Amino acid sequence: MRVEQAMDKIHDKLVEIIGETNVISDKNLLDTYFKRYSEDFLIKNPIKPKLVVYVKNNEEIMKILKIANEFNFSVVPISSQVIDANGAEAPYSENTILLDLTRMDQILVVDLKNRMCMIEPGVTFKQLIPVANEVGLRLLMPLMPSSGKSVLTSALEREPIILPRYHWDASDPLLCTEVVFGTGDLFRTGTAAGPGTIEEQRASGQAQKNPLGPTQFDPFRIIQGAQGSIGIVTWISLKCELLPDTRKILYIQSENLEKVIEFLYVLLKRRFGDELFIVNNLTLASLLRTSHDEINKLQSNIPSWTLIIGVGGRGPFAKDKIEFLEAELGDIARDQGIQLLSEIKNVSNDEIIRIFQNCADNPWRLRYLGGSQEIFFITTLDKTPQFISSFKKMVEAKKFSLENIGIYIQPLVQGCNCHCEFDIYYKPSDNKMKENARTLFEEASVALMEQGAFFSRPYGIWADEVYKRISPIVVTALQKVKGIFDPKNVLHPGTLCFKEERA
Amino acid sequence: MTLELKKLAEYKDIMERCLRCSMCKWIPQVQIKSWKYAQVCPSIDEYNFHAYSGGGRMIIALSLLTERIGYSDELLNIIYRCTSCGACSVSCKYLNDLEPLEVIEALRKKVIEDGVGPLPAHKKYMQLTEEVHNPYGDTHSKRLAWLPADVKVSKNAELAYFVGCTTSYRRKEIAVATTRILNKAGVEFQLLGEEEFCCGSPILRAGAEERVKSLIKRNIDKFKDRGIKKVITSCAGCYSTMKADYPRYYKHDIEILHTSELLEQLLKEGKLKLTKKVPLTVTYHDPCHLGRCSEPYKEWHGQIMEPISLVRFPVPPKPIRQGTYGCYYPPRNVLKAIPGLTLIEMERIKEYAYCCGAGGGVKAAFPDFALNTASRRVEEAQDTGAKVLASCCPFCSTNLKDAIEANKINMKFYDLTELVLMAMED
Amino acid sequence: MIKDNEFEALEKIVGSQNVTRDEAILDTYAFQWCAEIINVVNDRPPARYYIRPAAVILPATTDEVQQIVKVCNQYKLSFKAFSTGLGPWNCVSSERTIQVDLRRMNKIVKIDVKNQYAVVEPYISGAQLQAETMKFGLNCHMPGAGPQVSPLASATSMGGPGFTSASTGFAGRNVLGVELVLPTGELLQIGSLGLKSGSDWYSGDGPGPSLRGIMRGFMGAKSGIGIFTKVATKLYPFPCEAKWEVTGESPNYEFHIPNYLKFYIINYKDWDSLTNALRRFEEEEIGFMCYYGSTAAVCASFAKSRQELASQYAIHTRLKLPLTIMMAAVSEREYQHKQKLVEGLIEETGGKDYTPKLKIRDISFAEALRCLLGFHGFLITGAFQSTHGGMETIDMAARMAQLNIPLKRKFIDKKVIADDRGEGVWIATYERGHMAHCEMPTMYDSTSSESIIGMTEYSHACDVMDLEEHLAIPFFIEGDKHHEWYGPHCMNYHIWLRKIKEAFDPHNIADPGFYISSKVQS
Repeated sequence: MRVEQAMDKIHDKLVEIIGETNVISDKNLLDTYFKRYSEDFLIKNPIKPKLVVYVKNNEEIMKILKIANEFNFSVVPISSQVIDANGAEAPYSENTILLDLTRMDQILVVDLKNRMCMIEPGVTFKQLIPVANEVGLRLLMPLMPSSGKSVLTSALEREPIILPRYHWDASDPLLCTEVVFGTGDLFRTGTAAGPGTIEEQRASGQAQKNPLGPTQFDPFRIIQGAQGSIGIVTWISLKCELLPDTRKILYIQSENLEKVIEFLYVLLKRRFGDELFIVNNLTLASLLRTSHDEINKLQSNIPSWTLIIGVGGRGPFAKDKIEFLEAELGDIARDQGIQLLSEIKNVSNDEIIRIFQNCADNPWRLRYLGGSQEIFFITTLDKTPQFISSFKKMVEAKKFSLENIGIYIQPLVQGCNCHCEFDIYYKPSDNKMKENARTLFEEASVALMEQGAFFSRPYGIWADEVYKRISPIVVTALQKVKGIFDPKNVLHPGTLCFKEERA
Repeated sequence: MTLELKKLAEYKDIMERCLRCSMCKWIPQVQIKSWKYAQVCPSIDEYNFHAYSGGGRMIIALSLLTERIGYSDELLNIIYRCTSCGACSVSCKYLNDLEPLEVIEALRKKVIEDGVGPLPAHKKYMQLTEEVHNPYGDTHSKRLAWLPADVKVSKNAELAYFVGCTTSYRRKEIAVATTRILNKAGVEFQLLGEEEFCCGSPILRAGAEERVKSLIKRNIDKFKDRGIKKVITSCAGCYSTMKADYPRYYKHDIEILHTSELLEQLLKEGKLKLTKKVPLTVTYHDPCHLGRCSEPYKEWHGQIMEPISLVRFPVPPKPIRQGTYGCYYPPRNVLKAIPGLTLIEMERIKEYAYCCGAGGGVKAAFPDFALNTASRRVEEAQDTGAKVLASCCPFCSTNLKDAIEANKINMKFYDLTELVLMAMED
Repeated sequence: MIKDNEFEALEKIVGSQNVTRDEAILDTYAFQWCAEIINVVNDRPPARYYIRPAAVILPATTDEVQQIVKVCNQYKLSFKAFSTGLGPWNCVSSERTIQVDLRRMNKIVKIDVKNQYAVVEPYISGAQLQAETMKFGLNCHMPGAGPQVSPLASATSMGGPGFTSASTGFAGRNVLGVELVLPTGELLQIGSLGLKSGSDWYSGDGPGPSLRGIMRGFMGAKSGIGIFTKVATKLYPFPCEAKWEVTGESPNYEFHIPNYLKFYIINYKDWDSLTNALRRFEEEEIGFMCYYGSTAAVCASFAKSRQELASQYAIHTRLKLPLTIMMAAVSEREYQHKQKLVEGLIEETGGKDYTPKLKIRDISFAEALRCLLGFHGFLITGAFQSTHGGMETIDMAARMAQLNIPLKRKFIDKKVIADDRGEGVWIATYERGHMAHCEMPTMYDSTSSESIIGMTEYSHACDVMDLEEHLAIPFFIEGDKHHEWYGPHCMNYHIWLRKIKEAFDPHNIADPGFYISSKVQS
């Protein structure tokens, strides 16, 4: 059967499952989806989806995947309302259907006592943050994500969170999941697997807090980072923390990144500080201001590096806690010969606090020039200066301006490693600049890989480069895993190292 | 007598209660200060299979008893590749109440009773001991050949210096130093000379309990005949055998002291004057039989109570030998009294000291194992930065000196008595 | 049984002194803590010995491990890895299984002080690792089974709870880079370790999905997925002054308690108060240790003998629901701050500070730091094992503890397990109270068939309770029999687990006895 004919049949089957209004074949609408990934530097030869379908529950997804297996078409999930996926939504196969999960947007549980919430894929940061904050919870969240970004996707993608003290495992804040594997089988991971239904579990005092298992494997870790190629997740439980009612912000600012990192290491070891991250002046300015001029003005008035230290307390002991932390941090700074600041020039502490439990309608990475392409990888804090130095040389070699580079260093896993990010800002309307940015992006990515940067989230064109630089045994193992949960490769074929594509 | 070694079958309950927790392989957990010096069993350090640990030997004892296994060369190797240093027991008994060392001893006894042991090397030295009263087979009449002409010996003193076989024939410098010290301190002592027979330790450690009893009786009777009320010895093996083991078979009221104990006493009484500087950094090796293995056995007359179902314990509490009251401080106090001498401790000391590797018949039957163990111990001594390794047992001395030489270590070995003599005016 | 040519093939790898098929040695691997229970579970007599391996081999390097596994593949032998080897899960499940004793792989490969992780081989004990990391003001997560067991085994293959889990987490979640010899003999390097350029240990996840997902779950695979030869495990700050001075002679040690370390045993009158207190103390991040152990457990922890335990248990009748907190700080200011917090919380939660009434010796502080307190449980009857074990919320743990009391009392009344009033429970919190697990340490007599059988029946009854009362999956659901029982009640997870086994080990070269077996036809 030729692809088009097959699609007709598939279309009909889909209508049977979810109704005609939920199966989109209109070219203009398909184009809007196409644009979500077609401009991303990570996607070399973007392919348009054949159809987009809206689903609202796991039964529909199960049925769709069953027919995907039968009729040999590919499925790629989308959960965010905005373009913010590093190209993870881009199909690599011609006969792809995008599964739009944005209408599965229920916040199922918000549980202060157990510090968790349970959400569907379509729940955005904009939706969830106020609901969580209202009851006294804070999300373990990335650095001011886009408002329309799916919280579930963020957790599934192992996006770095800004609170390393609460990042006990690389998988945090993801807890349990409900997933439909590529076979069309429904599964729940962690303690959500049972025994008992979710309701029965809750009645026995559970809250789907333990992501491990069931028993002797951790399927949630296989689903996480898979870019939708192992299963379609229909809800997750998410670890939260208590929202402080008293806040203090402290800073280290310096031209000397090594000194900042040295201080940060001490904080990480002592498990001090809630929000903890390092940004360069451009990144800080982009987080705090919205227009190019405002950003430019601010960035030129702040030192190169700022370490943001959020300190908070809640309840009757909050004040004592903050006093103690401030004094202790002061001692550490004195020992290190570095100045700890309780405020910085040109920026108010309230502005900084607003970054924390917040999302942006106007994505901060796009504010400066309108276009941004991020290079990010995992390394250790002590190696970041050398990667930065190396990257800067590449920027200069490409005659790209260093003033258009944002840098963000996020300690992870309580300081065992870190997310190191270079944001290449460019004007989308300036083709030359854009192409230069693209070339810089591609070449620098590969060069950084060669230097030992660990691209643990290999999107788009990174995937081939990453997997040829990793032990082939790892690749084989991943393919075996794929073969278990999605033997016919219906879920996002071609992504990562799952190259076997549909006809 | 209730203190004699029990038959192996009487330890069945203990064997079955082994948790296989492996505590017996390590020094007491709260004493571990480094990766390198955390382990305590020379046997498993050498041979690595679990059978070579205290707990492992309890298991094979159970296997033998329950006829899951029969005798084999390998089984005998497992049983005898053990210095019976007792470290496993100390570690086990920190929180548990099993008796790995006693099971090992009972196992050796059974092996001999069943006619399959001990090993040829043990049989040889046992025979020599019976023939010429020392396990080396050296001429008995030359037992006192070490004695310098100018050393004053008393015929009737109540104190006897029991020299011991190894000191008499192999580590004569210890005997010489000891007697000179006693003379200088004005302590009268007698020597048994040719009436001194082996204390019986090598035979006992090989498991030949029945065979050694007559020797023990003979020695005790000899002490009594000669009016000896107090015996000092510079050998840890002789010390623990006479102090702890002899009374299990024959009660006696002779006070047994190690030379270090006497020296400490003399220092306190002002009879021993150490005035010459001995500017050495020294680390001290605790001989097993001076330390953890030297505690006497005590009788217990009580019963096992079960006040809560399955919770059983002896009432009154049973005396437990776990190295608490070994002779650790006298040698150290003596060393610290030597002017100019700096004492640096190793990590594994006192009741959890690492064995020198010679005891339990190992030096005779498995010389490579003995040397390797000593080499590990000497490395630990070296790691302290000390230039001198000291101890107060001729058997430890021999084995540790062998290791120093074999490994070409830049370190000297001295017996405690040699260092004391250095600190005394001529 | 092993044939001569097979044995010779193994000898060629490690040398004749490092491999054996001598029955005396083999028996010491068949004998295990709780082997008698596993025997009864598998319808065998309650013997202290399980199955003898075909041979025992001692590799010294990863390369040797790989070669051994390849020989197993060649001759259709199975292998079962084992490091410090505490527990029946180390036993082989067939006579054609080679026990791979990893004792010679005993190095601390690396301590990355700045990035707070250590890379260890299998035969490193928790105490060794703590002693070395302490030199840098760091600490490791100590397995609950004691400081003499292997942190690698705990992190990769076994459980993961610990007495300090409030502050040091769960071993399985502390994992970074991993080196695993697969049942094919290939070497899988998980995470950043797999990089061809810049290989290092700092991350165990990616690229893409994390292969930590196949290596273990809530529980480890007990060698059923391969042999772990190295693991990078997270380290934590040493909780107080990093000083260790023990004087005296065993068992009368004295510990020079480092600055800023304090025990609290806080008594609560009912379960609601206790669970609230657990939650509040954890929310305020006070405790280096924060757990609930029953009165019997508290008395045992601080007792040096059964006599002392019995007398203390009789005295402390007013100790109802004791919460154990070890508060630790690195500076005077931190200590004062935490002390104030503790006092405030005791008042807030309606607890009573019972600590002055207990005789806590200073050595108990050393035992707490070294996680030896739990070992005191062995004191009671000389044998114990835990039942239940599910890990979820504090509420679920408390509910499990309460539901278990009448069940346990039935078996106490039969006199097959020791009498702790049914209240013998350990609830450990994790990661500042986000999770808690509950297990019921149960004392029995390993020399009595009646007691062993009774204990086994009680364990099974606990597993049934967890199923019926929806109390999460307990610890010891492993092996085909248990998976096939529990699986259908838990999303048929066993089908997926089996698929993993079949993908990576279709011929059961890695002993599946405490994991799941492949049903692929040869």
